[in-house]
Amino acid sequence: MPWYLHLALRQLFPTGRWFPFFTVISALGVALGVTLLVIVMGVMGGFAYEIRHMITDTEGEVQVKARGWIAGYPEVVKRVESVAGVAAATPYAVDHVMIKFGDKAEYPMLRGIDLDSVERVTPLDKYVRVGSLSDLDDDSIILSQQLAAGLGARVGDTIEVYSPLIIEKLGADAVFLPRQVRVVGILEIGHQQLDSSTVYGTLRLAQDLYGLGTTVHGLNVRLEPGVNEDDAAARINAVLPADVRAFSWQDSFSDFLWVLNLERNMIFFLLLFIVIVAAFSVMSSLLISVVRKTREIGLLGALGGRPAHVAACFCAQGLFIGVLGTAAGLALGFTGLAFRNNLVLWVTRVTQREEVMRRYYQFSELPSHLSGATVALIAATAIVISTLAGLLPAWKAARMKPVEALRSE
Amino acid sequence: MSEPVLSARGLKKSFPSGDSVLEVLRGVDLDVAAGESVSIRGESGSGKSTLLNLLAGLDAPDSGTVAWEGSTDTGAGRRAAYLGMVFQSFYLVPELDAEANVLLARRILGGLDRAARARARELLGQVGLGDRAHHLPSQLSGGERQRVALARALMNGPRLIVADEPTGNLDERTGNGVVELLLGLCASANTALVLVTHNAAHAAKARRSLFLQAGLLGAG
Ligand SMILES: Nc1ncnc2c1ncn2[C@@H]1O[C@H](COP(=O)(O)OP(=O)(O)O)[C@@H](O)[C@H]1O
Ligand SMILES: [Mg+2]
Repeated sequence: MPWYLHLALRQLFPTGRWFPFFTVISALGVALGVTLLVIVMGVMGGFAYEIRHMITDTEGEVQVKARGWIAGYPEVVKRVESVAGVAAATPYAVDHVMIKFGDKAEYPMLRGIDLDSVERVTPLDKYVRVGSLSDLDDDSIILSQQLAAGLGARVGDTIEVYSPLIIEKLGADAVFLPRQVRVVGILEIGHQQLDSSTVYGTLRLAQDLYGLGTTVHGLNVRLEPGVNEDDAAARINAVLPADVRAFSWQDSFSDFLWVLNLERNMIFFLLLFIVIVAAFSVMSSLLISVVRKTREIGLLGALGGRPAHVAACFCAQGLFIGVLGTAAGLALGFTGLAFRNNLVLWVTRVTQREEVMRRYYQFSELPSHLSGATVALIAATAIVISTLAGLLPAWKAARMKPVEALRSE
Repeated sequence: MSEPVLSARGLKKSFPSGDSVLEVLRGVDLDVAAGESVSIRGESGSGKSTLLNLLAGLDAPDSGTVAWEGSTDTGAGRRAAYLGMVFQSFYLVPELDAEANVLLARRILGGLDRAARARARELLGQVGLGDRAHHLPSQLSGGERQRVALARALMNGPRLIVADEPTGNLDERTGNGVVELLLGLCASANTALVLVTHNAAHAAKARRSLFLQAGLLGAG
């Protein structure tokens, strides 16, 4: 080991001292920043990850949409499914409806799905909590959980569905009666917005309600694992008629994802400031250390140490503190993530906010997802920042002339 | 005769002091042969430390030259192997134990190996601290610290040792012991020694005694 690294380590961990205060306290600042970064990035990444799955589980990875309607959809499905990388496609029709149960009304989206093919694209069945997707027929629906709770409807109840066509028919002086349907299932996706506003029915039911005849609004497409969504969308577009377009889910939901991404980046930079503040304290301790060790720095020169190596000795201390703090921060952060739900539960229990939490929170549990790249980014940034903090002290040390340093008694 | 270990010619050094200039060295000549010991005495502030720093290559003279065995390269790279320094206030690294302080000289030079560790142990034994190798400087007395510093100065087998008032911070008896040790070790290793001291008795033990006065070096 070069002497300057050895000396840097020894100055951080002096022989015979079991608790190196300076080192521990300096590293603690960095560790705190990294801990928070890991926990917050983990949870935000978890939201993004869950949202991705909710989107692709309910709408597929690629969405095919027409300007108006898609006529002759079986042919279009066949064409889309012939494209490389496509696993399956399923048609859908979706629009707003009004549903009434007793004297309560709601205005959700009713999504008509093709029972024969839907499971190959969107694994909805795993979200059905009560009942089953296979119970669905043209005179029944599956309600999302919060919607059912809001209406007070249960499986077996009959509710009324009003089509948006009612308004059209009003002008034509025709009577368009609401459709009586049975509730055969309750579905919980885990996302507040979806769980409060989604109804599933058969494609036939939706086509009737929206006056579509045999046309559909679009297709949801499942890709084979690992296929890039944008590339697949481009390949699908090549076989589609001009007025029907395929979009990757990232494209279809780009506004939403953009906001999500912006939030993540902003939080990252805000939390990074904790690390930066910690780095300033590392810098000031190292500066003090340079001044305190002036005569030793002179001695190192007298022993034949080069200024660049003397500088490296102090810079390395910043690096080591960064590595130590980052390691501790990662450990603390992952521990925090592991116990995140217990923590949240405890906080909400203490503050008696469990109900509020469930109501206004988009997810019923705190998700967490940290990619290796994010962990690497957090670690690398923290270490680089701490090393930079050693730079100014290092420069001061390197500029000291041995003669003057030795004279400074 | 071979090249002198140390050869200084016409060394001049002055420092700005307020509006005027303080001429500390006004043309110092000095030759030190291999294994020779030279003592330098002088009033406080006469420029002894300034001279030693020039001889050690730590500072550059305003004019004149310093040569080590005929070469004027007195840079850091050569200094680590060629020269050992001993100071009035020891200058041990407080975080390192005695052995590590001695080894630091070798670490900086490069080539720390088993033999080097053995040599450090042996040197500590020679200065009477064989059983104190793992004591920190704070656990050692002044005289013991200075003896660790002697071992450090000798670690790389230098051709020359310069010592700047090595007994200045020690009591009489301890100081005598350190100087005896320094002279003895240098003699047995055939290392040349330039010893700056206030103590006439110590100065007299060197083969040659010089006196620095009015910026010039003369016979003591
Ligand atoms: N870097 C410097 N700047 C200004 N004056 C200095 C400097 N170094 C030494 N001097 C002055 O030069 C003179 C000699 O100093 P020094 O060599 O330390 O004396 P000695 O070691 O003989 O006591 C003193 O008057 C001191 O104040
Ligand atoms: Mg002096």
